[in-house]
Amino acid sequence: MVTHEDILKIAKLAKLYVSPKELDRLTKDLNQMIAFTDTINTAAAKANDFDNINGLENAFRKDEPAPSFGRDEILKNAKNCEDGYFLVRRRV
Amino acid sequence: MGKYGKIAQIHNQLISGKISCVELTKAYLNAIEQNNEALNAYVKITPDTALETAKRVDAKIASGGELAPLEGIPMTLKDNISTKDIETTCCSKMLKGYVPIYDATVWKLLKQQNAVLLGKTNMDEFAMGSTCENSCFGGAKNPHDLGRVAGGSSGGVASAVGGNLAVYGLGSDTGGSIREPASFCGIVGFKPTYGSVSRYGLIAFASSFDQIGPITQSVEDAALIYDTIAQYDPMDSTNSGKKGPVTAQLNKDIRGLKIGIAPEYFDNIQSDVGDTVKKALDVFRSLGAEIVEFNMPSLKYCLPVYYILACAEASSNLGRYDGIRYGYQTAHYSDRDEMVCKTRSEGFGPEVKRRILLGTYVLSAGYYDAYYKKAQNLRGMLVKAFDDAFLQCDLILSPTVPRTALPLNYSADDPVENYQTDICTVPVNIAGLPGISVPCGAGNDGMPVGMQLIGPKFSEATLLNAANQYELASRESCFQAVKMGVE
Repeated sequence: MVTHEDILKIAKLAKLYVSPKELDRLTKDLNQMIAFTDTINTAAAKANDFDNINGLENAFRKDEPAPSFGRDEILKNAKNCEDGYFLVRRRV
Repeated sequence: MGKYGKIAQIHNQLISGKISCVELTKAYLNAIEQNNEALNAYVKITPDTALETAKRVDAKIASGGELAPLEGIPMTLKDNISTKDIETTCCSKMLKGYVPIYDATVWKLLKQQNAVLLGKTNMDEFAMGSTCENSCFGGAKNPHDLGRVAGGSSGGVASAVGGNLAVYGLGSDTGGSIREPASFCGIVGFKPTYGSVSRYGLIAFASSFDQIGPITQSVEDAALIYDTIAQYDPMDSTNSGKKGPVTAQLNKDIRGLKIGIAPEYFDNIQSDVGDTVKKALDVFRSLGAEIVEFNMPSLKYCLPVYYILACAEASSNLGRYDGIRYGYQTAHYSDRDEMVCKTRSEGFGPEVKRRILLGTYVLSAGYYDAYYKKAQNLRGMLVKAFDDAFLQCDLILSPTVPRTALPLNYSADDPVENYQTDICTVPVNIAGLPGISVPCGAGNDGMPVGMQLIGPKFSEATLLNAANQYELASRESCFQAVKMGVE
C-alpha cells in the first residue's frame, strides 16, 4: 500500500511537485496501478538472461571527428542563454 | 480510400499528367481547411512547405525526371517525429514552441523523395494514451463518428488518413499506438520489427519498445513506405540494418501458410469484435491457409510487464525536461531546483506524471527487484513464448483492440481500466515483433473492427503479403465509407 509519504518521496526523486490537491488522487491512482502490476508476482520467478530485444551487441564506430551541431543552433531552443552558454540560477 | 486511390495509382496519375502535384496538394490542403476543425487531426499545418515541394515535383515531371515511389504524395507526421525548423511538440505544454534543429531519419529519407508534408498531427502527450485525449490540444476525433475518439496515441495520423486529409502518415508504436487508432478509424496500421526502422529523431517514450511505422489506407501502401523508411542508420545503435524490399513480394500465394490462433487473445474481447475477427479465418481458409490452434497462457502477464518496463524507461527518458535547454520553463522560482521541479510539474499533464511516478517507484531502491527486474525476466519468458509459438505457425491472428472506438470523454476514472485497451497490442512490443492491423468488418455499432496479424522478427515480407492477400480477398463493404476530405 502506497502512502502519501511514499508519493511525496517518489515525486521528489522524479523532480515533481505534488500539490495537496493532487496528493489524494495520485495516491489512489498509484495504488491501483501498483496492485495491477503486482499480478506479475503470480508468475513463476525464473531468472532469465534478458539483455536486449534483438540480441544486439555493442556497435562501435571508428573514433573519428565528424561535423556536429553548432553552438548557436544548440542554444536556439533555450529560454535563457548568454555568451554561448545556457544560463541557470547560481547554485552556491 | 481517397479519391485518387492507392499511392501507386497517385504516382501514375502524377507522371501521366492527369493531375499536377500542386493540384493534388491543394486538394488536401482545402480538405484540411474544411474538416480539421471537426476532426482536430492536425496540430500544425504547413501549406507553404507543402506547396513549395509540390512545385518542385511538378518541375521535375515537366523536365522528364523520374519520380521515386513516394515523390509528391501528400502525407503527415505524428508530432513526436522531429522536423527541422518545424515546431514539434509531442502535444505537450512541455514542448510547445520547440523547433528541432535536425530531422528524424525517417523524415530525412522521405524528404529526399520530395514527400509533401501537409502538417504535424495530434497525439496523446508524449505518446502516453489510447484515446488521443491526453493531448494538450484536445483529442483527435474519429472520421466514422465525430462523437468517438480516433484512438491513440497516433490518433491524429489515423484521423487524418481515415478522414482523407492525407494519403498516409507516420506514427510511432510503443504499446499499440499505430495499430489501435488504425483499427478504430478503419485503416491499416503497421508496426515493423523493433530495430528495422531508425528511431533517430523520434522523441523517446520507452526506447526498447518505441518503433516508427506507417498508417495507410491499404497494405500495399504500408509496404511501399516500409521499403523507403527501413534503412540502416548509424545514428540509431539499435538499428539492425536487416531488411529486404517487401513490395515486390506482395502477390504471393499463401496456400499452406499456417495462421495461429490462441484463445487467450480472445479473452475479455467484446463478443461482436471477437466474432468479426474470427470471420477473417474463413477468408484465410479460402485462400488455402491452414489454421492452427495453440495456447499462450503467459499472455496475461504482458500488460503489467509492459506498464512496469515502459513507465520505468519513460521516467528515465523524460528526466531530460528540465527547462534549461529546450521546452517550457516556469516563470517564477527562487533557485535552480525549484525551477526544474516547477517546470516539470507545470509542463507535464496528469497521465505523464502518473507514468513517471510509477516508473520511478519500480526503479527505486527496495522495489527494483520485485518489479523492474522481475518484469525484465518475464519479458525474456514472453519472448521465448513467441519463439515457441512460431515453431507451430507462421503468423498469429488476433483482434487489434478488445472493442470498437470509445465515445469521447469516456476514459474511466481508474487508469488501469484504460490500459486494458492495449491488451492485444502490447505483446508485440514486448517481444519486438512486427504487427499489422487490417480492417476486417464492423461491430454491432457499425464502427470499424481491426484484426491483427503478428509475425516473427523480420518476417515483414510474409506478414505484409498475407495481410495484402486478405485485404484483396475481403475488402468489399467492411463498413460505411467515410464521407469527408479528398473522397
